[in-house]
Amino acid sequence: MTENAIEFRALSQAFGNFQAVKALTFDVAEREIFGFLGHNGAGKTTTIHMLTTLARPSSGTALISGHDIVTDPLGVRREIGYVPENVRLYDTLTTWENLVFFARLSGLSDAEDRVSQALEFLTITDLRDRRVGEFSKGMRQRVGLAQAILHHPKVLFLDEPSSGLDPMGMKMLRDLIVRLNDEWNMTIFMNTHLISEIAKTCTSIGVLSHGQLVYHDTIEAVTQRFGDDRSLEELYLSVAPALETEEAA
Amino acid sequence: MPASISGDGARVIARQSLLFIFRERTVALLAGLFVILVLISAYLGWSATSTVNAIYADAVVYLKGVGQPVPPNPVNDISPLSLMRNMSIYVSLIGALSAIVIGYQLIAADRKSGVVPLLGSRPFERATYAHGKIRALVMAVAGLMLVAAVIAVATFIILPTNPLGAVGWISLFTFFGLAFVYMLMFGLLAMATAAWARSESVGLLLPVTVWLTVTFILPSLTSNIHPTAAINPISALAPPPDTGFFHWTGWLFGPISIAESFKYLSAGLLDYLPATAINHSMVPPLPDLLLALTGSAVLAVRALMTMDMTRGDYNA
Repeated sequence: MTENAIEFRALSQAFGNFQAVKALTFDVAEREIFGFLGHNGAGKTTTIHMLTTLARPSSGTALISGHDIVTDPLGVRREIGYVPENVRLYDTLTTWENLVFFARLSGLSDAEDRVSQALEFLTITDLRDRRVGEFSKGMRQRVGLAQAILHHPKVLFLDEPSSGLDPMGMKMLRDLIVRLNDEWNMTIFMNTHLISEIAKTCTSIGVLSHGQLVYHDTIEAVTQRFGDDRSLEELYLSVAPALETEEAA
Repeated sequence: MPASISGDGARVIARQSLLFIFRERTVALLAGLFVILVLISAYLGWSATSTVNAIYADAVVYLKGVGQPVPPNPVNDISPLSLMRNMSIYVSLIGALSAIVIGYQLIAADRKSGVVPLLGSRPFERATYAHGKIRALVMAVAGLMLVAAVIAVATFIILPTNPLGAVGWISLFTFFGLAFVYMLMFGLLAMATAAWARSESVGLLLPVTVWLTVTFILPSLTSNIHPTAAINPISALAPPPDTGFFHWTGWLFGPISIAESFKYLSAGLLDYLPATAINHSMVPPLPDLLLALTGSAVLAVRALMTMDMTRGDYNA
């Protein structure tokens, strides 16, 4: 039986009077590659901040591999890896120095071995002794991914992973995400506003609009429902504006 | 599955932070300047004593030659510890400023690098982060104090005419302990502002403003010590005018005039406290310093525990 990697239970976040995330309640099964689709400002990053325990929800909660993000944040952090939208590391340190530091912070006694393993998996051993400050966006993204998988997390959170990448970089990143899911059995939760990225990588999808989940299903179901390659775009355009009209009314 | 980390995590954070900040040019420059000033202070003490001794030796030869009585060596009339009096000024000026830059950089380095969200999603408590950063600050300030202490000890060992007794050595090391507390207090304050401030410049300017106020403005309010006098170890201890205004301001603002408390205690420990020196503050100098340290520590811990871990940078 498939267990849930993530269980949302009326997860909400408010900033003053502004409700950024509204009572999200749905599940992401283990070993899914879940694409969280939404326009800029829809509440995707706020949701990821709560799930990674960087921010405390104003109400509701979520379980990550059975650990409650509100009552057991330490348990959650043991199970997750996180790659923010703009990966930033210590620029004056080398890739190796950065990664060994993050491995040790994750409590790994075999930090050096884990770093070597991650570098090999991501085929970036050539970046090992170079300072991160010299890297392009794509190289940073891969080192950022390396720091997130050092401790073999069960759930990997990626916030707009392909933002700012060239087509080659995007393809490389997609392949890595699929391999992590396939070979390391990781559940991937990926924020994006790129429909093409979801179509090529994800196994299920959630659409967020103005902090509210307006659609949630498998990619297979979406394709069956709409029947062609444009299905995702049609889906998104059909659910998101509807909500905006409702709010305007 | 990786274990959660607590004490080890603090050690990893402290080590990484120290490695990182000493690669920062501003920190290295100020720490170097502090060490150079400590060396100058020791040299000035050694040079003044040697000069007086040399003149005294010549005078002894001359006076004996003309059959005059030989007076005692004036160097013996003053405490050898007072040779280090300039050190109290360097600690309150450049020492405190170095501690501010170190404390600020320990946090700002993470914020400017943008790694805070990555740190926040690691399996350790916020308290471990605070513990690691404060440990790094304590080690950095203790390192500077150790260098200063080694230079002072070497100076007294090199000066055979100025041997220190057991009480003298205890006073000297107590002075370095006091200087450590004083510098640590500013470092902790800078850590708090670096964690709380929304902008990089405010994070640094706030503790520097406190340092300027404490070092130059408050002494002129409480004891009529002008800014130029505040950088002279003796004139900084001149008694205030005997007026109602200074009695009241001294009593009222004395507890926050930390630099005065530090200079008063330093002068007592290094044996150059003038008999006329008075402390009007409602809180005696030592409890005052300890209260200030506790306050800074509480602020720093609170700021680090409540720091926004979602932001990758200042103004993000």
